[in-house]
Amino acid sequence: MVVTLAAPSFVRGQTEAGIPVTDPLVLARCGTCHTVDERGNMQRISWARATPEGWQAATKRMIGENGVSVTPLEARAIVKYLSTRHGLAPEEAKPVMYAAERRIHDESDTANDSLQDACSRCHQAARALSWRRTADDWKRFAARHAERYQFTPDPEAVDFLVKVAPLHTREWDAWSARARTPEIGGRWLVTAHIPGRGNFYGEMATEATGGGDEFLTRTRLRSVDGTSVLARTGRALAYAGTAWRGRSSGSSLASSAPDDSSNATQEAMLVAPDGSRAEGRWFWGQYQELGVDVKMQRPSSDPIVLLVDPLSFKAGSNANRIRLIGDRFPAQVTAADVSAGPGVTVRRIVSSTPGEIVAEVDVARDALPGRRNIAFRSSTLERAVAIYDRVDYLKVMPDSSLAAFSGEAYLRGYQQFEAIAYQRGPDGRRHTADDVELGPVDVAWSMEVFYEVDQSQQDRVGTLSPAGFFTPAAASPGVNYDVWIIATAKNEKSPDGKPLVGKSYLVVTVPTYTFNGRRYVRDLDRWIEEGSSGR
Amino acid sequence: MKTLAIGVMVFLATTAVAVAHHGLAAFDRTTKVTLMGTVTDFHFVNPHSVVEFEVKDDAGQVQKWQAEMTSPKNLKGWTATSLEPGDVVTVTGYRAKSGALFLWVTELSSSNGMKLRGA
Repeated sequence: MVVTLAAPSFVRGQTEAGIPVTDPLVLARCGTCHTVDERGNMQRISWARATPEGWQAATKRMIGENGVSVTPLEARAIVKYLSTRHGLAPEEAKPVMYAAERRIHDESDTANDSLQDACSRCHQAARALSWRRTADDWKRFAARHAERYQFTPDPEAVDFLVKVAPLHTREWDAWSARARTPEIGGRWLVTAHIPGRGNFYGEMATEATGGGDEFLTRTRLRSVDGTSVLARTGRALAYAGTAWRGRSSGSSLASSAPDDSSNATQEAMLVAPDGSRAEGRWFWGQYQELGVDVKMQRPSSDPIVLLVDPLSFKAGSNANRIRLIGDRFPAQVTAADVSAGPGVTVRRIVSSTPGEIVAEVDVARDALPGRRNIAFRSSTLERAVAIYDRVDYLKVMPDSSLAAFSGEAYLRGYQQFEAIAYQRGPDGRRHTADDVELGPVDVAWSMEVFYEVDQSQQDRVGTLSPAGFFTPAAASPGVNYDVWIIATAKNEKSPDGKPLVGKSYLVVTVPTYTFNGRRYVRDLDRWIEEGSSGR
Repeated sequence: MKTLAIGVMVFLATTAVAVAHHGLAAFDRTTKVTLMGTVTDFHFVNPHSVVEFEVKDDAGQVQKWQAEMTSPKNLKGWTATSLEPGDVVTVTGYRAKSGALFLWVTELSSSNGMKLRGA
């Protein structure tokens, strides 16, 4: 039964126009509590927009706390409708994709101090920024949230949300007018980066299964170094054609190794509005700490350069081999078809197939350092390769991170590290925006536990594999440890002839603890009070 | 379930790695040490920034020290380039009880003009 209680919207304090709800299922299931006005606006719902995760959390809360009775299929349909018709424009979703992708992210670029402080006790500020509300609704939300979770709302944080996350935006107006379900089905060209394992390339085939926005996926990727193949199958849904959320698993049985990329993964990607590209992360693990960075693009009738290998060349080096990995390369290829900018001369084509060209290049001694585009005829891969004349420093990524001991219902939280070489940019300083990233380098990995003179007992904290994969000790010692993860370059030297060294700050934590009678559990990047993850 | 002793955990609301981390239990807070040395590296990272610097001891031997500070978010006005290798720093702080060459910084001044007080 559809319950519609007509009531003028302004009576409830809303001074802005709402987004009418037209879906019969939402009207029926949500209408038992949320009244509908004469314009089809549904109390609260019509004055909010959110990502699929936002609507999923709201729906769960309505079921869990307010006793809404829906079947799983109905809940899924409700989330789908709301995420589509009350969702975010791609331009709005992009800055907070790190939340859906479960990435640790410094939020100073998306939230002010007040909002970060207000949110950080329980979750990323991105959870709030994944919503759009009217000014009235942000104030109402803050008051209810504070009441429910017993804290004092910060007016500055609320003002910030009112300012940066309004219901009505130019982006949403433009997007809702042109939104359509893009053709997701068919063939995609895929490149991926697995930290510690390098770059991969291949294809995904998608087959529509329901309404054009749900599909089955089959993916096959090969590592650039040729040592491994990933074959995965799964299902995905593209809310409004842009918010890709899926699950997939390896075609072969996953081993017990936590970093086995055959493990079942969740997928969160943002599809470009025109449906031509998608980008995001596929992730797994107790804390979703392990993952694959994925980029996909549609093939065309023209050649496309997807990836190059290697990622950098030294100025003054000759007869370098470069591989262009792509699609639809023609049968006849000449050196003139490939270019990498001034100072890089393509001497000859060594070999070519429809999917790969190997060329020989010389790099002039005076070639300017920096990242270069690589072009094959009219297809350009931007900033694909770096030219450098020295390696100045190593950066170990992630530069700060968490791992966790196991406990009760919690599996261990792992961490994969990768050492990236850099040359300082024109400003002559390290760690600035003009530095040139040269790509991963071979390193020897080691650890150093903070404050300990005797480093011979590191096993009680964990172990670091030769590939930079940290595994916490099986037995939790009941305390946290701070650890340096140290990468020592096997080949690159500092100006004084010593091997280059990079470090990352790892905190190895207990999974739960009790403080002042309250129990806290670890989440992706913070401690939260138990039961607060749905806030 | 392990229950940590009060005092082991201190809430540090930081960005990126926002985790209840550790207090100053590892440091001897009864005595402050002041050292002067040359920066070899600076890690402007969560949960704590760390300066690595070399100090010559009385015998002329080089000791490699590490000085731990608060989180980047709380280091107002600081950036990843606030301290560079070669800068000369004077660091005052609490030394690690273990005897490791570690300090918790309470004051720091650098030849490049950067200062930190009361961290």
